[in-house]
This record gives sequence, C-alpha cells and structure tokens, in this order.
Amino acid sequence: MSRFFFLLREALVNLKRNFLVVAGAILAVFISLSLAFGALVVNEILRLNTLAWQEGVHVIAFLKDEGTSGVPVGAHQTLLQEVLTWEEVKQPDGAFYVDKSQAWVEYQEIFAGQEELLAINPTILPASIRIELVAIELHQSVKFKLEQQQQVVRRVDTAAEQIEQLQNLSSVLNVLGIGMAVVLGLSAVVLIANTIRLAIYARRDEVEIMKLVGASNWYIRIPFLLEGLIEGVVGAALAVFTVWLGATRLARASEGFALFRLDVSSDFFFRWGLLFVLFGAAAGVIGSLLGLSRYLREADGTGEDVPTGAV
Amino acid sequence: MIRLEHVTKVYEGGTVAAHDVSLDIQKGEFVFLVGPSGSGKSTLIRLMLRDEGVTRGKIWVAGKDITTLPKWKIPYLRRSVGTVFQDYKLLPNKTVAENVSFALEVLGRPRSVIGPQVDQVLDLVGLADKGGRYPRQLSGGEQQRVSVARAFVNRPPIMLCDEPTGNLDPKTSVGIMKLLDRINRTGTTIVMATHDFAIVDAMQRRVVALEKGLVTRDEHSGRYEQGDS
Repeated sequence: MSRFFFLLREALVNLKRNFLVVAGAILAVFISLSLAFGALVVNEILRLNTLAWQEGVHVIAFLKDEGTSGVPVGAHQTLLQEVLTWEEVKQPDGAFYVDKSQAWVEYQEIFAGQEELLAINPTILPASIRIELVAIELHQSVKFKLEQQQQVVRRVDTAAEQIEQLQNLSSVLNVLGIGMAVVLGLSAVVLIANTIRLAIYARRDEVEIMKLVGASNWYIRIPFLLEGLIEGVVGAALAVFTVWLGATRLARASEGFALFRLDVSSDFFFRWGLLFVLFGAAAGVIGSLLGLSRYLREADGTGEDVPTGAV
Repeated sequence: MIRLEHVTKVYEGGTVAAHDVSLDIQKGEFVFLVGPSGSGKSTLIRLMLRDEGVTRGKIWVAGKDITTLPKWKIPYLRRSVGTVFQDYKLLPNKTVAENVSFALEVLGRPRSVIGPQVDQVLDLVGLADKGGRYPRQLSGGEQQRVSVARAFVNRPPIMLCDEPTGNLDPKTSVGIMKLLDRINRTGTTIVMATHDFAIVDAMQRRVVALEKGLVTRDEHSGRYEQGDS
C-alpha cells in the first residue's frame, strides 16, 4: 500500500512539475469530449422531440357538410366506423369525430385574442375525423383510402411527412453523432498518448535512473498511467459539467417555447456523464500505455511481456 | 561472483568492443578494468548489468546466467548490483535523502525500514547533514558520494563503477576511493572501470587491462601500466 501511495505521490508531483503540458492534455480531452458529449445531447433532444411529435393525431380528414353536395345525413359516422376498422389505425380509439361546433371551440382556443380572425362565420368550419396511426410509415396508405371517399372527404392533411423527415434527420444525426463521438474519443486518446510521450521524453534521464536501480517496466509505467488517468478524468468531468451547464441554461431560457423541447432529463446526464468520465479515464490509461510502450520497448530492446508480478 | 566466458560484443557497424573475454571475479574482490578510451571497459560494465546483450559467450552474475535472462527479470538482477557512473545520474528534483531512498522505494521497502537505512548510508558516505539538499547544491565529489550511497543502500553483493572519479579532482577522487575501499571491506565485490593510473597504482588491487576489446593483462595486486615501478 505504501508503494502505491509513493507512486501516486510521484504522479501528483510530476503533474505539478509539468503543469503546462498537463493543462494542454486536459484541455485537449475537454474539447474533444465536450464536442462528443454535446453531439450526444443534441441527439437526445432530437429524439425526445421526434417522440413527442409522433404521439397524437397524424392524419386529419376534413369532411364535406352533411345534407349538402349530395352528402347524406349520417355519412360522417359511417365513415368514422369504417376508419375504425382499418388495420393502420390505432385500436381501440385511434380515430374520433370532431363536429362543426367542436371545431369552432377549438378554433376559438387557437386564435384567442385575435378579434379579426374570430370574426368569421362559424359554420364555414368543417367537421373532421382525426386519426392516430399504428405506425407513422402507414400515413400514405390511409391518406389514399380517405381520398377514395371523395363524396364525403373534402381534404386530407397529414403531419406524417414532416415527422418522417424529422425521424430521418434524427437517424442521420444519430449516426453522425456516434461517428463524431468515436473520432473525437480516439483523438483524445492520441492527444494523451502524445502528451505522455512528451512527458517521458522530458523525464528520460529519470526513467533511465529508475531502470538502473532495478525498477520494473510496470513500476515505471504506473506514475505515468496515473497521470494519464487523472488528465482523462479531469478533462472528461469538465466536459460533462460544461455541456450539462450549457444545456440546462438553454432549457431554462426556452421554457414556454412549445414547439421544440430542449430539456433533457438529469438521469440522461448522470448516466452518460458517468460513461464519459469512465471513457476519459480509459482514454487516459490507453493513451499513457501507447505513449509508454514505444519508449520502454526501445529502452529494453525488442520487448517481452512483463508479468505484473514484476512490479 | 562474476564469470565471463568467451564473451564477444560486436556493435552494429562491426566495431568489436569485447573479443573472447574470459574473467572470473571472486566474492569480495576489488577489480580495476583499465585501458585507453575505446578499449571496451565500459562495454564490459554494461554487459555485466545486462544494459547490453552479448554477441557470443556467457556471463554469470551471482550464480545466474544473465545472457539468457528474460527481459522482465532484468530489474531483479539490477536490484542485486549497485552502479556508480561518472555523471552521477542523480534525480535533480529530489533531495539527497530522496535520491538514496528511491532505490529502496523501488524495492517496495516499508518506510520504517527506509528512513534508518538511508540515514545510516548517508552517515557512511559523510553526508549525514546534507540529506535535505538538492544535487545542484552539492559539489561534484559530494554528488558522487550520493551516487555511491544510492548504489550501496540496498547492500548489494556487487557494485559496478564506470569511471566514478572521471569528473573529480585528485583529492576528491581519493575520498571516493577510500569510500569504495571501505564498502569493499564489508564483502562487496567491486568492479571499477577507470583510466586514473594514480588510483590504480595506489590501491594495488587486481587489474584487468583491455585493449581493443582484448584482455591483455590480468594481475593480482597490479599497477596501471605493466612494468611500472
């Protein structure tokens, strides 16, 4: 145990001595992981919004008035019953009827306070059937079926195309986000490896003396690994904190903005934040191992596997 | 304690640093390796430390064939061999006491053992009152004493010294040699590469002379030059 504390102390002293190089490595990890974590948060925001928009009405069939233009009384209800039997429609109550008076109430709610828009004749508002689909991809088939009912249906509107576009955008951004996270994560590893290599180069005399007095390769490695670990964890924690702070501030500023949700759950931040800090730690250790491997192999000749027991 | 059997070392480019060298060094012996620059003295020291590998031949140190030693076991060999070099090889950011204790930290000795052992060896080399100083605050002779203290703190059975007086004036060199002689009297085998004839002649110990990688002379109670009086 005392040996571990000795090595930890060595690592901390070295971090203090090489402050600028260490700050550079932490900054590099911070920038890479901030971008990667930011991409992940943007993805999550898109996913949440796509989900929110997927819920509710997908297709609206505006109907011709009964008793006029050859639409018999009771045609609306007949169509509603037929729509409810379609397999594309969510069961049991994926379709409902909105009559002209309900449409007027809805209109008044939407345009409350806008006197000139409210000064219309309420009877011009059509009745409609609102439909929720089993899956958003089925909107074209439903639209087609409704358009066949020309005698009753005046017009068919659907938000499905927009939702589908959003879904596509979301999946493209998802792939881009993951790709970006991987590339930036790897760049963090390379940057740490370079930093550790610089640190070793600056301390090559020290490493030589360590080998001279009988230190094993693992004994030499451990302070450098601890340095990499600390750099990775600090850089990643700063990145997670900064993105969390930015996202929560943005969510607070956009409160009341109904079209687009910007709030991401704290559970998401905790789960992914922890993963990013772990990744930072792993990147630090892997970067240090990469930085050390070449130097120690050169110092030892061809290099052989060193059992940990030799520490 | 140390045995070299037909050892040859050829560097890349064809330079022969050791040619068919055979030596048998007994426990407690003090052996000078002498010869002009490029004669192969330092190479032999590095071969005994497994800092270099042999081209041909065998080397036994403390009963072990170090030419076939796996690389991961080299640290164990070095823990039983103290080393002193011309350029001291001290850690500039550590104090004298920390430089010496470093050799014991590497071995995983507990703090309760390290403290007294470091004090004892610093007392032996005459630096008991300078444990808190940094190498840059010491003279060359004092720095070499720290280097000797670090090499001896673990009480190794063998010490390899490569030109330990090379950077020192004659008076300081005598002090270092007295120290090494004292350590040798505790039973530690010492092999020292040097071209300081005054020291070799004064000590009257075994002398192995090298020239172009060949052993040209091996004398007990020898002198630097053959036939000198």
